[in-house]
Amino acid sequence: MRIRSIARRHYYVMLRSPHRLFDVTIWPLVDVVLFGSIGAFVAGSQSAESRAFGYLLGGIVLWHIIYQAQIAVSTGFLEETWSRNLLNLMVTPVKEWEYVAGTALFGLVKLILGTGLVAVTALLLFSFDVTDLGMGLIPIGAILLTVGWVIALFVIGFVLRYGSGAEALAWGILFVVMPLSGVFYPVDALPDVVRPIALVLPTTYAFDAMRTLLDGDGIDWGTIGISAASTVALTVAALLFLMRMLKVFRARGFISRYS
Amino acid sequence: MEFVLKARGLVKDYARTRAVDGIDIDVMKGERVGLLGPNGAGKTTTLMMMLGAISPDEGSIEICGHQLPGGRSEAMQRVGFSAGYMPLAERLRVGEFLRMYGDLYGVVDIEARIEAGLERFRIPELAEAMGTQLSSGQRTLVGIVKATLHRPRMLVLDEPTASLDPDVALRVRTGLRDLCQSEGTALLITSHNMVEIERLCERVVFLSAGKVIANGSPEAIASQFETEDLEGVFIHLAQVGAEQRERAERRAQETDHTA
Repeated sequence: MRIRSIARRHYYVMLRSPHRLFDVTIWPLVDVVLFGSIGAFVAGSQSAESRAFGYLLGGIVLWHIIYQAQIAVSTGFLEETWSRNLLNLMVTPVKEWEYVAGTALFGLVKLILGTGLVAVTALLLFSFDVTDLGMGLIPIGAILLTVGWVIALFVIGFVLRYGSGAEALAWGILFVVMPLSGVFYPVDALPDVVRPIALVLPTTYAFDAMRTLLDGDGIDWGTIGISAASTVALTVAALLFLMRMLKVFRARGFISRYS
Repeated sequence: MEFVLKARGLVKDYARTRAVDGIDIDVMKGERVGLLGPNGAGKTTTLMMMLGAISPDEGSIEICGHQLPGGRSEAMQRVGFSAGYMPLAERLRVGEFLRMYGDLYGVVDIEARIEAGLERFRIPELAEAMGTQLSSGQRTLVGIVKATLHRPRMLVLDEPTASLDPDVALRVRTGLRDLCQSEGTALLITSHNMVEIERLCERVVFLSAGKVIANGSPEAIASQFETEDLEGVFIHLAQVGAEQRERAERRAQETDHTA
């Protein structure tokens, strides 16, 4: 009941804040048109590099799983700080995991809307059908969804610790993760200096597995396994970080920032 | 007598100051207790510790047999909180806001409780109003209705009638007294309005510089400080506090010169 209540609270917020719908309407459309057009241009100019078309469109469709999952949970929490509702929630019986679960549950709705729109637009404008990736899409999607939520936990932790100054991370952190994850290109294309960072990110392996599917080489369970294992490690790190930041938040009386 | 709240030896230090210095507070079932003191006395920090929003550096807090922080969720199930300075969550109608909190507390007959709560404080017409359309007095009343929906064993109110017109403040006092008498709810309230506390509370705990300096009925405390009423006590303590601060500053300056 508590989880449903948190989810419904965020539904009301989205319903009455039309600009929040930009996350699931305008930006996905802009992304798919932008990257689809780049892909079409590359494919048309160099037939040998026609794979780039699929890489770009597949990348942007699957990227929106992380984006929507992360943004929904992060901004769901930020909404509580913006409306100074955090203290009200903290003094209810709601447990921390119930709050995150409620916000993530509502985030799933946004994710389906946003990612669905990207997928449909890619199909209509560029005849790119993401479901052609087949069953391999399921584990890759699940990993990307989890990573999106995990990044949101880090963002919430930073906001608890550093206050409103850390809010920019809700949007900015994805601009760091995206290029490092090789969303649109194999990780070999990255400069040598940042490649080690890319290799510890679960997203790198998830997008690598997506490219294997696009190349018609079937499901690369080895790569997906590495991605899943590093996702578990990242999840544990995020939970420990969040618990630590919550402890600091309570110890230093940071609730006064929001009351 | 049955304890609703038992706090022992609470200490809270912030960067350069000790906000709470070894406070013990008990509240019994159905008791109406005022927590008073000049600005900076430690009232709000004490309340926040009792609500689990700030963790004490030392001491223990037990609410209805549940020890904080481990039993926070169970304890908060039995506590209602509202503060005059807390806004309602934006983009929600009053009814939606109350329904959300009713769900968070697991209230089953939520619609009947909302109706009864709004009736008790004579604001049934506000159910469909948006939170942003309410006056500060109406917000306060809705906040108290929210805090009482789940029939808490203890109601914690921080400055509930600050900035309210006298007639609305009277409505708040009448509603609170009715609630405590009809449902046996204990009340722990902070206020800068001494007359209000004298009218509403059976017992007063006076804080100064983070310590409990008086604990008894309003009449007994006034007599202890040889003043006519609580306002006299408050002014006396504020003056003593100012003198102490002045002396401390002088000592610090003298020490600087000597050094």
